[in-house]
Amino acid sequence: MVKILHLENPEIGKRFEAVRSSLTGWDQAWLDQLRAEAMTRFETTGIPGPKVEEWKYTNLGFLANENFAISNKARQQTEIKTLFDRAHMENIDGPVVVFVNGHIYPALSSYPDGHGISFAVFSENCQAFHPSLANIEYSSALNDLNRAMVTDGYSLEIAPDVVLAKPIQVIHIVTSATDMKLLPVRSQIIAGKKSKARIIETFIGAEGERYWSHMVSEVTLAAKAELSLVQFQLQGKQAIHMTELHTKVAEKANFSHISLQLGSEISRTELLNSFNGEFANVDLRGAYLGRIKQSHDIFTRINHDLPNCNSNQLYRGVLDEGGKSAFQGKVVVARDAQKTNADQSNKNLLLSRKAEANAKPELLIYADDVKCSHGATVGELDSNQLFYLRSRGLDEAAAKGLLVEAFVSEVFDDLDDEILRDKFKEKAAGWLAQELPS
Amino acid sequence: MLEIKNLHVTVGGKEILKGLNLTINDGEVHAIMGPNGAGKSTLSYAICGKDGYEITEGSVTYKGKDFLDMNPDERAGEGLFLGFQYPVEIPGVSNMNFLRTALNSQRCYRGDKDMAAVDFLKLIRAKAKELDMDPEMLKRPVNVGFSGGEKKRNEMVQMAVLDPNLAVLDETDSGLDIDALKIVAEGINRLRASDKAILMITHYQRLLDYVVPDYVHILADGRIVKTGDKSLALALEEKGYVGLGITEAA
Ligand SMILES: Nc1ncnc2c1ncn2[C@@H]1O[C@H](COP(=O)(O)OP(=O)(O)OP(=O)(O)O)[C@@H](O)[C@H]1O
Ligand SMILES: [Mg+2]
Repeated sequence: MVKILHLENPEIGKRFEAVRSSLTGWDQAWLDQLRAEAMTRFETTGIPGPKVEEWKYTNLGFLANENFAISNKARQQTEIKTLFDRAHMENIDGPVVVFVNGHIYPALSSYPDGHGISFAVFSENCQAFHPSLANIEYSSALNDLNRAMVTDGYSLEIAPDVVLAKPIQVIHIVTSATDMKLLPVRSQIIAGKKSKARIIETFIGAEGERYWSHMVSEVTLAAKAELSLVQFQLQGKQAIHMTELHTKVAEKANFSHISLQLGSEISRTELLNSFNGEFANVDLRGAYLGRIKQSHDIFTRINHDLPNCNSNQLYRGVLDEGGKSAFQGKVVVARDAQKTNADQSNKNLLLSRKAEANAKPELLIYADDVKCSHGATVGELDSNQLFYLRSRGLDEAAAKGLLVEAFVSEVFDDLDDEILRDKFKEKAAGWLAQELPS
Repeated sequence: MLEIKNLHVTVGGKEILKGLNLTINDGEVHAIMGPNGAGKSTLSYAICGKDGYEITEGSVTYKGKDFLDMNPDERAGEGLFLGFQYPVEIPGVSNMNFLRTALNSQRCYRGDKDMAAVDFLKLIRAKAKELDMDPEMLKRPVNVGFSGGEKKRNEMVQMAVLDPNLAVLDETDSGLDIDALKIVAEGINRLRASDKAILMITHYQRLLDYVVPDYVHILADGRIVKTGDKSLALALEEKGYVGLGITEAA
């Protein structure tokens, strides 16, 4: 049965064997063994096909058909600098961690350091990643493929009571080259009790370049920790971009994730959360904008196993001609999870008849004393609003732009950092200005 | 200023305006009254160029230019302002941002540079004050959660900032309390000038006590059926449409 739902590509296993002895940390037996085990699991499971419900909206066919080269370290300094400048927010003068083609790039990096901060890079210290690589709790086909082939990544541990004054910027750059590249990167973040931090991650790549960027992140928040993870996805138009984020949130801790999907041909954002303490809060929000062959897939799963926790999800999508999206959000409230608050809101704006948005919020509630809501809409711009704006002098493009900006701004209006709010606005407005009819 | 000749407008497959003629000269104030459903708002939308208001016959000429050839935003750039009978709510767009974008769009259309942010702020604060609008409302999303009267007053703030040559005001007086009516009327009077013109659509004589029109027209069944001066509005107030011999199917 497994075989019907899953696709195979024996080339991937062969490729692994061929490069195995040159992978990062190849000389460390424990790592080589974990990689091999992961590859075996991946080959046994196979690649989820379009008949697997969770993968209905993102076709992994390319994995079955294409041959990947593990990215090489070929570097073009001017190109790197140009991409870096587009991603880097220099008015935030915190630490910066830069990866180029899936490998750390020390020349542009300044690692986070200071009291209570342990930071490590996989290619410099594999050992630091042992816990995450050995933990197969989150095992899945793509996670295992990532684990087997991982080139680099970062690990951040924040000691109890430590508050990071400045956000950490992590920038993933992909340069132009000829082969399709596989860029498996990982991160693990451990936020100690009552610690507070923000990480801003930007993914950016050369236009016209076909590559598969796959990132697995494992995040743990101890009691009363506060962690905000902000992600800007500005990949090249032919890229395939996937992130898989696992979060575990302890008592009274707050986790927030906010993302903007602008680039790539295919994007898939997986956010999988479980609570392991009461009175904890998780806030997931994002905007995705797509047109011309682009497809964005937001897949969330929030398990409320314990009472008194809150989860909030807010996603806004704008699809223009040829753009497609899916929001599959699942909230499961276990029988004992009384006093759960869970909200899910997904609204989509179609700017063309040839655009498609799939909204699938799902609530499974087994407790009786809970407050849960979900709402999903797919609509067009309001013609009365457009006319009102135009009657005041705004031309069609400006009127549409203002309405679309207002529509997505709900996602980031509450952000407590003005620099970030402006960045979201600037990027979204830039997308609109690109190709809306004038 | 504005010349409308034999205007026929079809909406949703139904002919609403059936050969309407109206000429407004520089410096004049006209009032249009008429029964519900007569086509008054249809006329205002047709002047403004709203989609779905199909002009099957006739012409609308503004300062010698063919208005029917222009988009709504171009007409605004030429100096037209429409005060809506039902102002539209726009969540997520602040009043301030909306008005600044509108003003600068019009300036750009006329070949002027954007107004500097400080100057704009001064201007809008002054206009809000004139119309007794709480400056806090400028930060709120356009018309969202505004009361009926607040929405109308907001239209007047927009008019004051945009300073049009021709204002078409569709029932701007409806829903205003007595004090607000006076404030709004003063706002309209401030716009009066020898090189400007105003067309007010209203159901009530009261507004015309404050803003005295040069002409009063009665629109019924898609045409102007009677034209007079201020006394026509008084006669109408006294006798009603039927009393003046005007029925829905005139
Ligand atoms: N989209 C439409 N389809 C069909 N009929 C319409 C449409 N829009 C307006 N009408 C009709 O056109 C007629 C004129 O409407 P209009 O709004 O111009 O009237 P009005 O004179 O402004 O009335 P009121 O005094 O009530 O504001 C009405 O009978 C109305 O029902
Ligand atoms: Mg009307």
